[in-house]
Amino acid sequence: MTPGKKRLNYSYYPGCSLHASGREYDISTRALFKALNVGLKEVPDWFCCGATPAHNVDELLSLSLCAKNLSLAEQVEGDLAVACAACFSRLKTTQHHLKEDEERRKQVETAIAGPAALDKPVKHILEILAREFGLSKLEESVKKPLLGLKVASYYGCLLTRPPEVPELDDCEDPSIMEDILRALGAEPVQWSHRMECCGANFTLSRPGVVLKLSNAILESARRAGADCIMVACPLCHGNLDIRQKEIKDAYGAPDSTLFGNIFGSELQQGASSDQRDLPVFYITQLAALAMGVPSGNLGFESVITDPKPLLREKQLL
Amino acid sequence: MSRIGVFVCHCGENISRTVDVEQVARAAGEIPGVAYACDYKYMCSDPGQNLLKKAVAEHKLDGVVVAACSPRMHEKTFRKAASAAGLNPYLCDMANIREHCSWVHEDKKLATAKAADIVKLMVERVKKGKSLAPITVPVTKRALVIGGGIAGIQAALDIADAGHQVMLVEREPSIGGHMAQLSETFPTLDCSQCIMTPKMVDVANHPNITLHTFSEVEKVEGYIGNFQVTLKHKARSVDESKCTGCGICMTKCPKKKIPNEFDQGHGMRTAIYVPFPQAVPNTPVIDRENCTMFQSGKCGVCAKVCGPGAVDYQQEDRFSVESVGAVVVATGFKLYSIDRKPEGSPIQGYGEFGYGTIPDVIDGLTFERLASASGPTGGKILRPSDGKEPKQVVFIQCVGSRAREKGISYCSKVCCMYTAKHTMLYHHKVHDGQAYVFFMDARTPGKGYDEFWRRAVEEEEAVYIRGMVSRMYQKGEKIVVMGSDIQVGVQVEIEADLVVLATAVQAQDGADLLAQKLGISYDKYNFYSEAHAKLKPVECATAGIYLAGACQGPKDIPDTVSQASAAAAKVMTLFSKDQLERDPVVAKVNEKYCVGCLACKKVCPYGAVEEKEIRDRQGNLVKVVAYVNPGVCGGCGTCQATCPSKSVELDGYTDEQIMAMIESL
Repeated sequence: MTPGKKRLNYSYYPGCSLHASGREYDISTRALFKALNVGLKEVPDWFCCGATPAHNVDELLSLSLCAKNLSLAEQVEGDLAVACAACFSRLKTTQHHLKEDEERRKQVETAIAGPAALDKPVKHILEILAREFGLSKLEESVKKPLLGLKVASYYGCLLTRPPEVPELDDCEDPSIMEDILRALGAEPVQWSHRMECCGANFTLSRPGVVLKLSNAILESARRAGADCIMVACPLCHGNLDIRQKEIKDAYGAPDSTLFGNIFGSELQQGASSDQRDLPVFYITQLAALAMGVPSGNLGFESVITDPKPLLREKQLL
Repeated sequence: MSRIGVFVCHCGENISRTVDVEQVARAAGEIPGVAYACDYKYMCSDPGQNLLKKAVAEHKLDGVVVAACSPRMHEKTFRKAASAAGLNPYLCDMANIREHCSWVHEDKKLATAKAADIVKLMVERVKKGKSLAPITVPVTKRALVIGGGIAGIQAALDIADAGHQVMLVEREPSIGGHMAQLSETFPTLDCSQCIMTPKMVDVANHPNITLHTFSEVEKVEGYIGNFQVTLKHKARSVDESKCTGCGICMTKCPKKKIPNEFDQGHGMRTAIYVPFPQAVPNTPVIDRENCTMFQSGKCGVCAKVCGPGAVDYQQEDRFSVESVGAVVVATGFKLYSIDRKPEGSPIQGYGEFGYGTIPDVIDGLTFERLASASGPTGGKILRPSDGKEPKQVVFIQCVGSRAREKGISYCSKVCCMYTAKHTMLYHHKVHDGQAYVFFMDARTPGKGYDEFWRRAVEEEEAVYIRGMVSRMYQKGEKIVVMGSDIQVGVQVEIEADLVVLATAVQAQDGADLLAQKLGISYDKYNFYSEAHAKLKPVECATAGIYLAGACQGPKDIPDTVSQASAAAAKVMTLFSKDQLERDPVVAKVNEKYCVGCLACKKVCPYGAVEEKEIRDRQGNLVKVVAYVNPGVCGGCGTCQATCPSKSVELDGYTDEQIMAMIESL
């Protein structure tokens, strides 16, 4: 830390996934922030943001859940750091929506019996790393550069969209993840499906859809020569990591087409790929690894597609 | 005591429906100084005007107020009638009781009272009015045309054919503009070069046209009829008077791998070059940034081989000052760059389309070069990456156009037609190929245009898909185009060999800077603004400057040529008299009271205020005052409102007149 400069401090909203299926995201986020000497204090008594189901069922409920969490976050000093793409999207959407709709804001404030904390800055850890901590400082802090690791950075659909809500990066052609990867010494690959949807929580109700969409994403990453995929969303992680075996079973011949084609025959099957397993990392896992955090503290044991062979091959373990 | 006449018009029912015109006339008759007041159904008609003329004579009127529509509509009409009756036309004024009253109110009683007040104001103004005589300024009968595309060429030829001198200035080494780059043109599919190059030659040979290529407008001063223009003649490094155009310098130049701008970077040229074989003038130019001689001082091949000794490495930029009476601006357009968002620009890019990273994603102008017989492929449609013939081509319309979220909300007007043309040219050359077009809707107004578009769709087998493309990516040799068909409601994926983007038409680089030099206005997209969208479509708000072509907004060739001829006609009208009459409603400075703070100079939108030195008989400087050049003044009155010492006044709107109006209420 530069003398004279105040230490960065954030309040932290992990969200449910990070305490359950995406535990390794939470563990690695805390480890990374500790390694960077950036303060992270969990919001007391936080609860679920409603994620995808709530706003489909009851808008007032979904807005109120987020507003209540925001007002809880007010109790902790510092901008609110969020790791989960869905939580980030819901919290930002709530602020955006309630700022524009006075009447709705009053209803929500009645529901949560207090002010909605619309001005509490909500920041995704990507922007904290790239902009507030800073790419050059990030690069300086690297102890073990991720040399030779070819990474497909996967944004998914929520991180930058709709553009007026997250205000994270160019909504159709972002580069923030690639910028961070370069700072870590890794090699971001150019690939086509970095913003396509993985199927999100259709993973429970319509797994077939998820298999198809996620297959296209994995296939595209393989085609681009990636060794692994990097995500910033526990749901994307789940679909791409946990479903890899099922996808392999369902799509024996890889590189199937993503959508139906009304013109029939133009689409030829592409060259068959090797169907390598692609480990799926959270951004914080890779960043913490580069900062020299011992791999045993990053939750690598709790993912399905084992990343250790790859990391050993690249001499990162 | 004044003897004012007031004439209240019904305007059919436009005014009398909401204003009791008879009552207004009665009220006017009671204003002190009004000698006659009446109402009439159509004051602008012949009997109405006669009524005015008769009343002036019978009642010995010394001023007239016509309470009717906007002065924009009929001020001239009534001033002419007053003048015919022997009055000074500037003692005839209008009270606007239509646009300012009957059209915007519903309550008849209140509207009538307001109309009576408006009439009262104008009566007071006319009472304090003075006779004014029109100002005359001399006219230099020589025109400057900026831009050597089809618009500039057409305007220059028309003016020159009428017998006037024309200077045509083009910043590129050759005239011809974008039209010279096109292959065939819609809706008749005639060859663009075949109709363009003869005109280029006409320009070069015309005795009344002086052609300045590789030159730019540096500075513009003066006013209508009397502009002084400073031109910068960029160093060509080749003496135009000696060069015979034999071209041996180009064949011997060792630098041969410079992307050719005329071919949109797809052909190659040498460091000493003409942009294209049919260039006018056919004098090469040295591209100093790429020339070995200029970069390292070691080469000089072109100078050695040049028979007439025309190559001159020492040549420098030259400046000349020219007097002209009128300016036609015809600087054309550029195509939207579809890469990532440019730094600091409000306009978003289309990074998701991979333009710039996928070599076979090209823009419309590049396709024109591929299809052109004089292009880099000799007219064969071959894709840039590997020179193979593409069997599946996807055309995407509205890239950047009509995309508010991307920063451009206007329609680029020509893309529907040129894309239809592209599909035809492609089908004519690659018979077993298939063209797909993603479009939002087809906009094809124009003579023979819709028929042309239908032909592309119905007879030439282009598959039109209504919907937009979200993303494209390279997959092996193919480009996967992911889009949607909103009519069928399905997502579509096409594996294309070549993708052609119909990108938005944008204002030329530096259009804003040129506008600032000329003192003309431009919109937020840097397109030049006309004085009136409907009634003055080729004039600028600045007198003596006219617009032609796509510098004003996206236009196709027929519209451009029509407007260029219209601009030329306006110039000829201006040149038809030796002296130019100007409206005498201009500002005048009272030099006795002016303290020379020149606040008026800062606010004048026309640049009409100059500094003037007052000297005594011995020639000693007494003080500096402001001077308003009546030839340039637009009569807006901003200076009058700004002047802290009240020493500048607008004729026809003097402080005395304005105060009298206020006091009458």
